[in-house]
Amino acid sequence: MAYQLYRNTTLGNSLQESLDELIQTQQITPQLALQVLLQFDKAINTALANRVRNRVNFRGSLNTYRFCDNVWTFVLNDVEFREVTDLVKVDKVKIVACDGKNTGSGAAE
Amino acid sequence: MASSANSNPVPKLYRSVIDDVINEVRELFLDEGVDEQVLMELRTLWENKLMQSKAVEGFHTEEQQALQAQQQQQAQQVQQSQQQTQTQHQVILPPQQQAPQQQVIVQDPKILQAMNATGMSFLQSAAATAATLALPTGVGPYQQLITSQGQILQVVRAANGAQYIIQPQQQVVLQQQVLPQMQPGVQAPVIQQVLTPLQGGIPQQTGVIIQPQQIVLAGNKVQQNAQVMQTATMTTQPGQVSAAQVQAQSQQQQQPQQQQQQQPAQQQPPMMLQVDGAGDTSSEEDEEEEDEYDEDEDEDKDKDGGEDGQVEEEPLNSSDDVSDEEDQELFDTENVVVCQYDKIHRSKNKWKFTLKDGIMNLNGRDYVFSKAIGDAEW
Repeated sequence: MAYQLYRNTTLGNSLQESLDELIQTQQITPQLALQVLLQFDKAINTALANRVRNRVNFRGSLNTYRFCDNVWTFVLNDVEFREVTDLVKVDKVKIVACDGKNTGSGAAE
Repeated sequence: MASSANSNPVPKLYRSVIDDVINEVRELFLDEGVDEQVLMELRTLWENKLMQSKAVEGFHTEEQQALQAQQQQQAQQVQQSQQQTQTQHQVILPPQQQAPQQQVIVQDPKILQAMNATGMSFLQSAAATAATLALPTGVGPYQQLITSQGQILQVVRAANGAQYIIQPQQQVVLQQQVLPQMQPGVQAPVIQQVLTPLQGGIPQQTGVIIQPQQIVLAGNKVQQNAQVMQTATMTTQPGQVSAAQVQAQSQQQQQPQQQQQQQPAQQQPPMMLQVDGAGDTSSEEDEEEEDEYDEDEDEDKDKDGGEDGQVEEEPLNSSDDVSDEEDQELFDTENVVVCQYDKIHRSKNKWKFTLKDGIMNLNGRDYVFSKAIGDAEW
């Protein structure tokens, strides 16, 4: 099972919202929507692993850290994200990271 | 496709994910006996939301580009007709605005949410459809164009066939001074000044018709009160007032409350409506009145401490909270990175992060990475 981690992203949220709308108009069943989301999980995990090839560096100050259920959650302040092409600065960022080692089982299940 | 080292990989990635998902799901849909049409609708909804979120740039199909071209044209048309109908105030369109007027209408999902939340009836449905579909076609009598700055130009064809251009943040120059600030808080006192000459009390209007369109952009604190062109309104068109009035009243009452609290001291015209609770200005008369009223309530004793007691209570209570109030920031975007970790290392208070396969949303935009390395000090 792939991580359901990516559901709370722009891509994932827009999918969930769209599915919700279809459920409300009863065009699909919640069960079907769930299946779609599971499929999304697989697709996004695969896509990220295979289709993305870029590196980012970042630096900031760590405000909080948490490690629970093998999930790290950090909150950083005054962070600079650097890619070859550009630089992005934010005052505050939350990082949620699941275990990246060969993922045998999904985090959410 | 040409090799594009510099181009943004995000739209392509997203599109490929959407394609994959839709294709994989097609079977599931058929198994459930759901029509292909629904699948297409899902795809459309999904893509539209992505576009609306502005998180991805350069997202989408030729259709969307054609739509954008249409929107640009219509924006120009509206702008032209605006200039015709605008007699005086030229409104002080902040100079910034003139450029973006011709831009593609980029819509903020929050606008949609806020619009739905305002519960305006006749404006809402048409607006919602127009907004969600980003189709500036003649949807109903109502067209809405939203510039990139979130300013809303509304073209309303009113019942009597006249066409009004509603512009937000219009500085209403009546008899009163021109308010130099283009801040949202300005709107309320201006409105009140308009209203009070007509009626000292409740802001009913035959004089000024204020289209009840409050758009509250979350986190933006911009309350845009769309106002119909003055010249048109001042000629008092009672026929038009009906439904708009009722809604306008409720809206106005809400708005003055909020905005008066923001500006207690800025504008103090002779007859100032105070819709919020007493206690802004300390006066002994008010104290006495409050005492009499409040005797029955237990909380009085706190209030008796003085008018200021009311204000002090809030800070007193807030000190009970130990946390840093992380939620305090009005986050337009909570910048989030969702990823997987390869290694997390710590030495004393120096942390090193080795992450992979992540999606980031920073300052409203989406980024992806296959690897990320970071340092931070705790």
